[in-house]
Amino acid sequence: MHLSATSELERAIGPDVAALTGDFEALVRFYRPKVFRFALASLRDVDAAETVTQDCFLRAYQARERFRQDCSIHTWLMQIAVNLIRDHTRNRRFQFWKRASLTAQPVDVAGRTIADGARSPEAQALLQERVAAIWTAAERLPEKQRTVFLLRFVEDMDLLEIAVATGMKEGTVKTHLFRALRAVRERIGATV
Amino acid sequence: MIAHLSSEQLSECILGQPSLIVARHLQDCAACRVELVRFREALGEFRGAVRAWSEVEANQALAISESVPEPRSWAFSHQLAWALLIAAVCVMASFVMPRYPGDSTAGADAVLLNQVDAQVSRTAPSSMEPLMKLVVQE
Repeated sequence: MHLSATSELERAIGPDVAALTGDFEALVRFYRPKVFRFALASLRDVDAAETVTQDCFLRAYQARERFRQDCSIHTWLMQIAVNLIRDHTRNRRFQFWKRASLTAQPVDVAGRTIADGARSPEAQALLQERVAAIWTAAERLPEKQRTVFLLRFVEDMDLLEIAVATGMKEGTVKTHLFRALRAVRERIGATV
Repeated sequence: MIAHLSSEQLSECILGQPSLIVARHLQDCAACRVELVRFREALGEFRGAVRAWSEVEANQALAISESVPEPRSWAFSHQLAWALLIAAVCVMASFVMPRYPGDSTAGADAVLLNQVDAQVSRTAPSSMEPLMKLVVQE
């Protein structure tokens, strides 16, 4: 597998590690929003997501010489982020605060950000309910299912990229995705 | 001909890998097409909502970090500490240092007053004194 020049940055700098050694700041600027978004969707905690994002780029910087180019930079960064998020969620202190803040955190926070004047109020409300249902369903998914679900349906990564980022086999990723989709669909059906 | 698509078959379609049978069924079954469109639309909106939320949170974090004043540099703090230390030493020194005794001060003052008197009592400035001598001799 070769480095896939999927991003604008990678297209601009070419399929090598110049971004890692020469212009790491540009790499951070370009990929930071993606890593932060995945961390935020996974952890649902802004401070924790910020911490994970910073740790992710720190580790990437420290390991930039060891980057073997057997995947895209995006996939490589996501691989680091997946590991950091897993460590973070297993942290007892995070689990305590997660439980403590569960009631204060609205499950439809993402649904409320939808604003589309083209839809009728009823359609808008229905859509928000569905988004909130998916949000709740994703929260209740087992860790691996949630990770592959978010990588696929928020980060738009394909099965092979998810397999590399999570260290699973492609078939295992597919199985987790099927289960996650079933749970999400059941949740939508139960809500709407 | 299958009745309706199962959850797994719908997931196949969502992941873009429908089998031939599923693809054919979708062509014929309006209900399954509607179900698939609804599911895809919901997932798409979920993606959009999470991305929008993430952008909002990222911008808020950025705004907070920009509003927080940057800490002063180490060099500046160091200079300020030295300046305060020197000022403190000067103030303490003004209290601790011994003062001159009163008699010597009075003596110095008397010498200074005599010099002033001598200057004031002159009839002509010192530069004109040779001329004044000539005038007196005539």
